[in-house]
Amino acid sequence: MPRKPNIAVIYFPGNNCEEESLKAVLATGMEGKIVRWNDRRGIEKYDGFVIPGGWGYEDRIRAGVIMAKDPVFDIIRKEAENGKLVLGICNGAQALVECGMIPGLKNNVEMALAPNKNPFVSGYYTTWVYVKSAEEKNRCAFTGFTEKNEVIPIPIAHGEGRFTTKDNELIQKLIKNKQIIFQYSTKEGKIEESFPTNPNGAMHNIAAICSKKGNVMAIMPHPERASFIRQLPDIVDLKNKFAGNLTAMEEPAPAMHIFKSMKNYIDEEVL
Amino acid sequence: MGGVDVELIDIKGMSDNALKEFLRKNAVSLNVFEARKIVELIGRNPTITELYIFNTQWSEHSSYKSSRSVLKALLPMNAPNVILGPVEDSGIVELGYINGERYGIVVSHESHNHPSQVVPYEGAATGVGGIIRDVLCMGAKVIATADPLRFGDPNGKNKNRVKYIANEVINGIAGYGDAVGIPNICGDVYFNGSFDENCLVNVVCLGIVKEKDIIHSYAPKNAEGYDIVIVGKATDNSGFGGAAFASLILDEKDRESNRGAVQVPDPFLKNVIIRASYAVFEEARKKGIELGFKDMGAGGIMCSTSELCSDGNYGADIDLDKVNASMKNLPPYMIACSETQERFAWICPPEFTKTLLKIYNEDFELPQISLGAGAFAVGKVTKQQDYILRHSGKIVCNAPIKSITSGIKYDRAKKAPKRNFKEPNLKEPDDYNKILLSVLKHPNIASKAKAYKHYDTSVMGNAVIETGYADAGVMKAVDNAAFGVALKTDCNPRYCKIDPYWGAVSAVAESMRNVAAVGAIPSALTDCLNYGNPEKPEAFYDFYEGVRGIADAARNLHYKGTTYPVPVISGNVSFYNESASGKAIDPSPIIACIGILKDYSKAITMKFKKENSTLFLVGDRKDELGGSVYYDVNDELGAVVPIIDFERERNMIYAVIDAINAGLLLSCHDISDGGLATTVSEMILGGDADGEIGAEISLDFINLRNDKALFSETSGFVFEVEDKNIERLTNLFRFYKLNLIRLGKTTGNKLMISKKNKQIINLPILKLKEAWTTGFAEALE
Repeated sequence: MPRKPNIAVIYFPGNNCEEESLKAVLATGMEGKIVRWNDRRGIEKYDGFVIPGGWGYEDRIRAGVIMAKDPVFDIIRKEAENGKLVLGICNGAQALVECGMIPGLKNNVEMALAPNKNPFVSGYYTTWVYVKSAEEKNRCAFTGFTEKNEVIPIPIAHGEGRFTTKDNELIQKLIKNKQIIFQYSTKEGKIEESFPTNPNGAMHNIAAICSKKGNVMAIMPHPERASFIRQLPDIVDLKNKFAGNLTAMEEPAPAMHIFKSMKNYIDEEVL
Repeated sequence: MGGVDVELIDIKGMSDNALKEFLRKNAVSLNVFEARKIVELIGRNPTITELYIFNTQWSEHSSYKSSRSVLKALLPMNAPNVILGPVEDSGIVELGYINGERYGIVVSHESHNHPSQVVPYEGAATGVGGIIRDVLCMGAKVIATADPLRFGDPNGKNKNRVKYIANEVINGIAGYGDAVGIPNICGDVYFNGSFDENCLVNVVCLGIVKEKDIIHSYAPKNAEGYDIVIVGKATDNSGFGGAAFASLILDEKDRESNRGAVQVPDPFLKNVIIRASYAVFEEARKKGIELGFKDMGAGGIMCSTSELCSDGNYGADIDLDKVNASMKNLPPYMIACSETQERFAWICPPEFTKTLLKIYNEDFELPQISLGAGAFAVGKVTKQQDYILRHSGKIVCNAPIKSITSGIKYDRAKKAPKRNFKEPNLKEPDDYNKILLSVLKHPNIASKAKAYKHYDTSVMGNAVIETGYADAGVMKAVDNAAFGVALKTDCNPRYCKIDPYWGAVSAVAESMRNVAAVGAIPSALTDCLNYGNPEKPEAFYDFYEGVRGIADAARNLHYKGTTYPVPVISGNVSFYNESASGKAIDPSPIIACIGILKDYSKAITMKFKKENSTLFLVGDRKDELGGSVYYDVNDELGAVVPIIDFERERNMIYAVIDAINAGLLLSCHDISDGGLATTVSEMILGGDADGEIGAEISLDFINLRNDKALFSETSGFVFEVEDKNIERLTNLFRFYKLNLIRLGKTTGNKLMISKKNKQIINLPILKLKEAWTTGFAEALE
């Protein structure tokens, strides 16, 4: 029997979503472990990496900047160049953008995750939103179970989550390369640029971007907080439908597909 | 009597007047009697360090000197489900058994009122930080926080400062909680002119621990020779005198000079310390090592190390030169008593000390993460029960440890203040639509989304019902079982202003209704008792009546299935919430209720789920609108507050819990602020105000005037039921001797209320939404 894929969830000082990220990883049948930033010896042995949310290095200077300069990131980048999977969630996504791995077209920083533009709450904002899958199934290693145009309920929790760039042509390039994976949408899948559908003013409603090869993804919303039915709020019918049904509550919710897809990809492509 | 190597302060030789002047000049808040008492206790004049130590320990904040006897005499703190009552840093109530092991919910509830009035961002942030430490140090996994807040009148004469404080407090809670990564699962906010110069910032925190893994806040057995280790941020002068400061009357003029007493928050460092401490717990459990662990809060190193050793019947010998201080030349009393944040004290057997230091200093690199931070062995536990502090090779404090920790006690006088409140003679309104919208828009009723959407409510991934969607927040308690924990805080200051006893009873009852409304059994209470100056007999009377109300409610609203009380397992007293002009806040015994669900999947929210379900009311409407929002929008206070009929209240709470756990209800919401009309409006809207199912209800069941029927805040519940479940539900309520009142149906996209076929209210959902979602936001602007 082939071994199970093994994932390292990296804890940088200040991260705070490492445990629930690991739980989502384990629930797919993969193996995994939380690895401290300074315990990097031998992390090349892992099949993939999750960089979780939080405030790595206190978001000093700017969210994700110092994380991106940590020696462990050099290893992760190298492993990603060899095709290993890297999923950056929220603060992890900010670090992937800050180190240039996302979108990864040039060998430097091409985008930024800027402070939210939000007419209701300035600064940090937590809420449930919907994201729509913008590309065909299997476009990247994280959408093996997600049909194009599928709408997923998922929470955001960030102050600096607005994907933006000064490069006027970059968004067009990303569309052409099919690198924009999730976009903020209405429940019905309509892309509206205005608040609250677009909760932070991200360009082109971008919620997640993958690398050109599709093995690295930066996602601002939190799939690990929307991976089980019980985690969903009552604005999502799926939750109400299973009220009182404990077994169903522990079943995967749509965002779990992101982690499940990682497992599938590693099973098929690597092991 | 222990010897010291430094100069003594000649208290014995000073006249009363000279002593008074000396104390004032040195910012010591002890009175002359108390200062002389030190001499009596230690058998000689004190050193300056000893004087500051007693000053801190005998502050109201640390010693509960005015409140202790009342709390002890009245509050029910024991019940079979109590694992640990209010004797250490947190209380612990039983969650249940999992694979034969007993699990507990660790709860702590504190105030950070005075600091938040002076520097609101830092004050609120360090409040959150402190309460997390109280729970963590019991060996618990920290799972949730909550924040009851009270601000001044956003339209009154101090509105600019009130709005500034409210916004900064909310930012401070967010800034700390979001970064440290503990979800905020509930809270409540009231605006009221009595809080203009004294905002209230209470904080509640929950954790989970196995009973056998509890780490106590005292040195374990055979601890003689154990190391005293302090861990965390480098000690500075911040917060020196904080405990004494919390026990002063605030003068807005002194705002600037009081700033020094406020601590500086560092949630980033705390985030790392929490994880490192979890690693220590794990390692100690693996090796079977018994430790003592305590938060370093009020009174700093001195308070936590003296209590750790004293409560285990030991003494301590500490070298202050070994403390990691970030400032040079700090005087010994400052190192001993400063309230620098993000610190803890451990009592550790020497064979484990190396491991403990390695986890903090090397594995988690505290010294690299924050300048000067880390874990350091600073002293030893001694058999001789003296508290010895050394500095620059000299003994600067040497006093019997029990004299430092046993505190001081007063029996304060109480006298009922004059309360000449009258019921208003209001004309019946002719436009009920307008009245309902103004009630929904009232900042005490309106959606608090603008505050809690600023907080991280879903981090850790265990939220089942996040803030705002129901009467209480609900978390999945542990990974390996179905238990859910519900939490809600309550207290209506206007009821307490009219009647401090019934106001407190209502706070307890409402908090229990709130957790029942999600299906959880009220299992424990905490109280944070916020009052004025206890040296004034009128203020002390209000305090006494509040405690009596909590006690009566906790005793009479039994823990479900027993005749035991719902125990009070943690709490805090905050006195001196009074402005310099002598105006006290409205009495505010803020209650948190911890509810437990055997199966979290049964938990329901307040939002209507289906068209054409039947709406029921339990709880007759009564003419008791004193303190109501309806009176407030008419600029009245009134005199007749809701009275809780304990037997009926108990039965309502039990019936609702049973109905929810039997799966008979689709949605449920308690009736409190804003009355029946508000309850139904909020059920239409739901937490995110995105509801699309309206309601048609009739008031034919009642003989009260329509405004009283719609807005009376008499306790009760409204719930939504599918027709197929009505018979079972009726039987269930009959068992509890309760009548179900059929209110109407869920239908359409409006709220329609009529009586005897005459329309009283007819409002589209959008109008309800507009009022409910803007009132609080406007109060903050």
